Amino acid sequence: MFPIANNVRAEREARGMTQSELGAAIGLTRQTIAAIEQRHYSPSLEAAFRIARLFGTSVDALFQWEE
Amino acid sequence: MSFRYKSALLSLVSMALIYAWFFVALVIHYRTGHPFNPVAHLAGTIVALAVIQIVGHAIIAGTSSDKYDAPDERERAFDRRATMVGYYVLIVGALLGIGTLHLGFDGPMVGDAVLFAIVFAECVRQSVFLIAHHRAA
Repeated sequence: MFPIANNVRAEREARGMTQSELGAAIGLTRQTIAAIEQRHYSPSLEAAFRIARLFGTSVDALFQWEE
Repeated sequence: MSFRYKSALLSLVSMALIYAWFFVALVIHYRTGHPFNPVAHLAGTIVALAVIQIVGHAIIAGTSSDKYDAPDERERAFDRRATMVGYYVLIVGALLGIGTLHLGFDGPMVGDAVLFAIVFAECVRQSVFLIAHHRAA
């Protein structure tokens, strides 16, 4: 598991989006969104900014470094 | 399972099985002197692999909704990692294949050894891609 926690699932579900819809909106596959939510994959900085921008929040609020 | 995962699995299994058949026949030929036409055998192997890949990919594409999707950053990362490992395996295998010259192997045997290195490296590349998919699924 990667040390970067995230609120992607909570933010996505709060907006009633599916993983496929989120992936399509930012150019990632559904599998990659699932991997990010389960902390099996850390997205690139560009993808992190795209997700944050889509949700109208900041990268800091969406992703947290956990020791 | 994504289209590219199924594609890599098909490529790995078909390549491993068909070239295993080729190399087993080759080893039997070298050990027993059993009649063997290596050019025809290799051509048959390549044609069989091409047919299986084309038909297999057509079937996979028919059952995958993501067949037209471009690979995203995660899949490109898997591909880079797999290609890097496969490249090193290919280099080591090719050098070992060429090294067989010093063991008294003749030209065709060295060629067969290099072909084995190429096939093995491709199988390793596909395997690393599949393992990376599993570990980050």
